[in-house]
Amino acid sequence: MADFDAIVVGSGMSGGMSAKELAERGLKVLVLERGPEIIPERDYVDNLAPWESPNLDNVAQDEIDQHYPKQYGGVAYAIKESNKHFWVKDDEHPYEEAEGTSYDWLRGYHTGGRSIMWSRQVYRLSNLDFEANIKEGHAIDWPIRYEDIAPWYEKVETFIGIAGSAEGLPQLPDSVFQPAFELTDAEKELKAKVETTFPERNIIPARIAHLTNATEEQRSLGRSNCQVRNRCHFGCTYKAYFSSLNATLPAAERTGNLTMVHNAIVQSIEYDAATNRVTAVRIVDAESNEKRSYSAKVIFLNASTIASAMILLQSKSETFPNGLVNRSDQVGRNLMDHVSGAGAVGLMSGFDNKKVFGRRPSGGIYIPRYANLNGQDKPYRRGFGFQGGSAPLGNAGGQIPGIGRGFKEAHKNPGPWRVNIGAFGEQLSNPENRVSLHASKRDRWGNPLALFNVTYSDNEYKMLEEASKDAVAMLEAAGCTNISANDVSLTKPGNRIHEMGSARMGRDPATSVLNHWCQAHNVPNLFITDGSFMVSSACQNPSLTYMAFSARAASYAADLIEAGTL
Amino acid sequence: MITRREVLQGLIVSIGGASALTACGGVANVVSTRLGSAARFYSESEMALLSRISDLIIPRTETPGALDENVPGYMDGLMSDWANRETKASHRQALRRIMQALDLDAGGDFTSASADVAERTLAGFDAAVFDEDGDASGYKRVKGYISQSYFATEGGALEELKWVAVPGRWDPSVDVS
Repeated sequence: MADFDAIVVGSGMSGGMSAKELAERGLKVLVLERGPEIIPERDYVDNLAPWESPNLDNVAQDEIDQHYPKQYGGVAYAIKESNKHFWVKDDEHPYEEAEGTSYDWLRGYHTGGRSIMWSRQVYRLSNLDFEANIKEGHAIDWPIRYEDIAPWYEKVETFIGIAGSAEGLPQLPDSVFQPAFELTDAEKELKAKVETTFPERNIIPARIAHLTNATEEQRSLGRSNCQVRNRCHFGCTYKAYFSSLNATLPAAERTGNLTMVHNAIVQSIEYDAATNRVTAVRIVDAESNEKRSYSAKVIFLNASTIASAMILLQSKSETFPNGLVNRSDQVGRNLMDHVSGAGAVGLMSGFDNKKVFGRRPSGGIYIPRYANLNGQDKPYRRGFGFQGGSAPLGNAGGQIPGIGRGFKEAHKNPGPWRVNIGAFGEQLSNPENRVSLHASKRDRWGNPLALFNVTYSDNEYKMLEEASKDAVAMLEAAGCTNISANDVSLTKPGNRIHEMGSARMGRDPATSVLNHWCQAHNVPNLFITDGSFMVSSACQNPSLTYMAFSARAASYAADLIEAGTL
Repeated sequence: MITRREVLQGLIVSIGGASALTACGGVANVVSTRLGSAARFYSESEMALLSRISDLIIPRTETPGALDENVPGYMDGLMSDWANRETKASHRQALRRIMQALDLDAGGDFTSASADVAERTLAGFDAAVFDEDGDASGYKRVKGYISQSYFATEGGALEELKWVAVPGRWDPSVDVS
């Protein structure tokens, strides 16, 4: 008899949702988390005042070189002295890059995974995205359409809470919203002038997973409205932004059906050829090095796109000599992210007498995709959106002239407003962009290191070149001055922390790993619902989509268990 | 946590008199990393310079000034505990250049110049630096450290910037005219 009804590997964004849905259906669920436990009361540092963190809350420069060269190099804005324990140390969790390539694998190993460190922007995909591959003849077709996933978006959104505004844009379907964070006057000016000059473009409030009118269900989980502190990267004791630690895991736990085991690094999944089922998960304890295995009727891989692919590749058997459910040879391939590196910043006058109250979290504005909406009319495929915001120049870090009382008090004056927008573009899938097992190098637990080989195509370069020009043109249209746009310099693959695609879904088992339920083609009791299933990246932040697919797959798996099929 | 009152009392003790808290004294305002202990990074002359320019850039007004908040001491900790060898060397070089320029402009030792001369000298130097492109002397960066350190202190954040720990609401358009 199996130890559990279901095992969920990973406690982050998608794992939390899988665990919640399975546990709420009455299944006994084990969640395996490779990192240590995060206890909010002990480990969140969001209540520290500026003077309570030494050295301007900067991590010592020598410590960065020794422990965080990749992590800090990728997201310096998010890693501080007080919250560095949320990020992995590169020297303890190394990886390899193919010669001539570079990859940012930015991670947090602990309860909730990266859901406690994310930037919380959430957008639905649309049929523009789900139909792109088939219309262009690129890669393979998504096996589902928007109508299949829309109800699950709605279910997830109602649970997690999203601040945003209904806009009625076909390329960016509306979610279930709580009140949006209102635009600043500068952003309203930008919106008015850009939408007049470029009628096909829209500037809308960023859609973020923050509570602004918490529901009874959300309050029952101890969550409350956003306090507008912008301390989200340090945890949130108000549980106002969504994370699995703040929401899905507590929801799963209160069913009485959840068991969580920390420091459990999954090494492989056991497969039984006689029944054609996965039967157990083998782990090594990160602290004691003890090896154990746990059995279950169904297994959900939510370890994150790269880790899930690694686990499959490490799970070799006579039936699957190239890795579990890898007959198609697609496991680890088609690794995608979003691409940035183009944008503009400028000053907007006319609002020198205006300030804001509160520190709005996670940006302010979003410019949904407007390229190639009605057919192919650009010299590149797909499109990009912009994220951005505005703030009074005010305290410019001391970089204003003057001394004495005048200098001191100048910091209280708003001054001109600084407006910025930065592009997030779609990366086309490419089977040569992949993660694989390093042939010889191992980590301290004996697991093969990840070897990345990911590069961009001309499409991403062409797209970002246009995004850069568009950004400048929009700020010019808004009347900004001192506009600057650096030369386009694409972010490293992985840098947007939206990795996806390493076990894509599809209709044909010969060219895909999962079916339209995120269920392995070849093994019916194995589901993968982190970003691995993505067939194309679209240009929208993907976490919401991962959660919607997780909820849908978990419901389906529960149906199968109830029916006795699994 | 040390209260502002304790900081002020400690400063007064460590530098020998309340008059040293203002920019009007002829004696350099030297403060230490931790009140009552010696600086860990800065030499005596560097600390004298940093204390003087911190006091001139962010003086006490109706709210605490840089010396009230022990900004030079904060920066001593920053350089000791945060900076790597390259940053330390570059910071030390910047202080040397600034000191040379200010001594030249003041017609003698800037740190012991009268309040009027010191203020006039630094104001002129500051204006000249911000008129030029770049930051050849490193003064802008030093000024940035002073400013950021000050506004990260309890007095700088709470009393000068009116920083609020838990705003609780978002108002995107507050008229301050």
